[in-house]
Amino acid sequence: MRRSGSSPLINFKPFVESLIAILVGFIIGAIVLIAFGYNPLEAYYWLFIGALGSTRGIASTLKYATPIMLTALTFAIGTRTGIFNIGAEGSFYFGAIASVIFTNLWGNMWFGLLMGMLLGALWALPAAILKVYRGVHEVISTIMLNWIAWFFVLWLIVGPYANPNDPNKTIRIPEAARLPVIGYGLSIAIIIAVIAAILTYFLLWHTTMGFGMRASGINQKAARYGGMNPKMAIMWSFIIGGLLSGLGGAMKVMGEGPTYAISQGGANIYGFGFDGIGVSLVGRNHPLGIILSALFFGMMRAGTALMQVNAHVPLEIIKVIQGIIVITVAIPGLYDLLVRAFRGGVAQ
Amino acid sequence: MMERVPIVEMKGIVKVYPDGTKALKGVDLVVYQGEILGLLGENGAGKTTLMKILFGMLQPTAGKIFVKGKEVRFKSPSDAIAHGIGMVHQHFTLVEVFDALHNIILGMEGHGLLSKIDVERARRKIERLMEELNFRVPLDVPVEELPVGVQQRVEILKMLYRDVEVLILDEPTAVLTPIEVRELFRVLRQLKARGKTIIFISHKLNEVMEITDRVTVIRKGKVVGTVRTSEATPQLLARMMVGRDVVLRIEKPPKEPGKPILRVEKLRVIGDRGEVAVKDLSFEVRAGEIFGIAGVEGNGQTELIEAISGLRKVEGGKVYLNEKDITGKGPKELYDMGMAHIPEDRTHMGLILDMTVTENSILGLHWRPKFQRFKGVINWARAREHAQHLIEQFDISAPGTEAPVKSLSGGNQQKLIVAREVSKEPVFIIAAQPTRGVDVASTEYIRNYLVKLRNEDKAVLLVSADLDEVVQLSDRMGVMYEGEFMGVVKPEEVTTEEIGMMMGGIRYEEIRK
Repeated sequence: MRRSGSSPLINFKPFVESLIAILVGFIIGAIVLIAFGYNPLEAYYWLFIGALGSTRGIASTLKYATPIMLTALTFAIGTRTGIFNIGAEGSFYFGAIASVIFTNLWGNMWFGLLMGMLLGALWALPAAILKVYRGVHEVISTIMLNWIAWFFVLWLIVGPYANPNDPNKTIRIPEAARLPVIGYGLSIAIIIAVIAAILTYFLLWHTTMGFGMRASGINQKAARYGGMNPKMAIMWSFIIGGLLSGLGGAMKVMGEGPTYAISQGGANIYGFGFDGIGVSLVGRNHPLGIILSALFFGMMRAGTALMQVNAHVPLEIIKVIQGIIVITVAIPGLYDLLVRAFRGGVAQ
Repeated sequence: MMERVPIVEMKGIVKVYPDGTKALKGVDLVVYQGEILGLLGENGAGKTTLMKILFGMLQPTAGKIFVKGKEVRFKSPSDAIAHGIGMVHQHFTLVEVFDALHNIILGMEGHGLLSKIDVERARRKIERLMEELNFRVPLDVPVEELPVGVQQRVEILKMLYRDVEVLILDEPTAVLTPIEVRELFRVLRQLKARGKTIIFISHKLNEVMEITDRVTVIRKGKVVGTVRTSEATPQLLARMMVGRDVVLRIEKPPKEPGKPILRVEKLRVIGDRGEVAVKDLSFEVRAGEIFGIAGVEGNGQTELIEAISGLRKVEGGKVYLNEKDITGKGPKELYDMGMAHIPEDRTHMGLILDMTVTENSILGLHWRPKFQRFKGVINWARAREHAQHLIEQFDISAPGTEAPVKSLSGGNQQKLIVAREVSKEPVFIIAAQPTRGVDVASTEYIRNYLVKLRNEDKAVLLVSADLDEVVQLSDRMGVMYEGEFMGVVKPEEVTTEEIGMMMGGIRYEEIRK
């Protein structure tokens, strides 16, 4: 008998669709590379070697995959409940700064992670409440909250939590609270992220609460008729999303040496929330798909170093390819179109 | 009356929808210059479809349309308007934040991208129109701030501003208060006096009797007949509107009903537009009884069901289930107390189309211990067994338990809902439009099943716009009109004509006088 049919993983269509999108991204990327006078085969070779050709490369891939996996989960759980939650960025900042603040009060790793999650969730709450009780669109509220979070955290970085010996950075995470390192600078953060993804999958597809969340995400009227509470579903979607991104932010600081601090201008905590949207889309907003998708994005990022050095291709070209992949995934029905084209049928 | 000039003629109009539904089966209609023609019929009779064809919104499958003797072919409403035919829809098409003036001139403001709108000229023309017709609307207030009756007059003005001669009004009184109805009728008489022709779509007998010159009655896509209003009686019109042969026979053994299971006391419910949709309604449904509610749709049935089933706020009054006060309780509690609900909106409420048969089969009972591995975790294996069981028991044809429910046909979707609701093992079940859009075989199955539930001493509340269904299945029935029962009767004790009159808003006591 087939495994839980309610899991879209049974359905390989989304997986194949994403693979097609990735292929299209690389083909168009190759055209761009040729246009600028680079050799695409050489570039892609070094990209691949850089990402997977050595233990160091693989560690680097996993390291880059970690934060975007968690922010992607935030976006996915929102989409599954019918909201477009782009507040992962703000929760990520708060998770990061919370880890700095609280591990310096009590140098315990779990305490740091927990506080990061809590502050991340706390920061998601205003948008949730505004959405549920006042009908404020979440895109507007989360964008604004992201900016508030950004400047507030920037102030904390240069103000109260600046490192007296290096005023452009925050004080460091005490050694006792740092995430154990597996090797080559890779901490256990990746394991925690994968567990979080699996738990998120379990929540959405195997619990009563998740059933209510998914039902509300598709059809609120039917969910209400089915005895569910769409308002609470949305509320939880924001809160859990905040927990995940907060965790991402905390682990970014607690798990990455050698600094173990938020660096100048927040440079090492910026942009992961937004990258997570693309990761989630390519992972088809499915927690298990997101694990793969985040690993892929991690590869792309990790491979660029060697590509830059050996094929002399600028880093930005990878961003172009990523952008094309995300756009291609977003084209609805692309897969059907291609299947029909390959079978020689004509679209009616 | 200048009756002999047909301004509009429709000949042999046939309309088959892409899904195969035959909405119109060869309709002939003649409208004379300067008259008010009533177009009377039940829901789904084809009145609105016919008028949408005349207004160019739909293309007929076959048939011809003549305006002033010349054959025409309308590709869009603007074609129809160019030929002097305008329509006011039941649901208004106004830009709510614009004032009346801008709503009226919308689309007529000139076609150059940068051409200036001559508001003052438009205002003068509208003022002159209002002067002539002796009715006014405030032109500078956003229309959302105007009462519904006035918004309707803005819609009428919008058409008249385009110089239409034939004005189609689709159920114009449905949204109006009695005073507004009187005002509308005054306006219609003014228009008629100025030579305009009006087609008045309605199912309300009294209004048709009052305002029209002639009435054409449509039933199931065919014209039953046309009569002069002066020669018609409400009885005659009612018979024409609903009288028909019974299609299906249901075996229903006589049965003595038991104690009341559902008791509704002076229930008052507010509709979406803020109107009182259910007006202090009281009734009870007893064990082993099917209580039917007949009536033209939009007379408060939906609001009534939603209030009973916990989906809509109760404004006043009480609802009791097994003598326990359930007023204001949510669906979850109600299901746990023994209520089941086959909702009228299958695709938007009863099912989540993008989810699987399994997921849909436990919707609304998924929290029961049977489907929980341990508290809060769903046992999908059990759920699949449950879905499989429903499929077999109700002979639902589905590609499998894991197929999305949208891949099932309408009839099978409906059977799945019925199966699921019955599997809640209810004491009281609401069946709202249980066979709408369902194939004949499934219809018969579902109807027989409702009788079976009744025979098993369940209380069944049946709400349906299909009169045959209510008459055949019910042990007692209430006929609902504007949020009230015009009468509660045993179906075998009244004639279809009398039911038709109640549906048209005449009280049973008055009929029996």
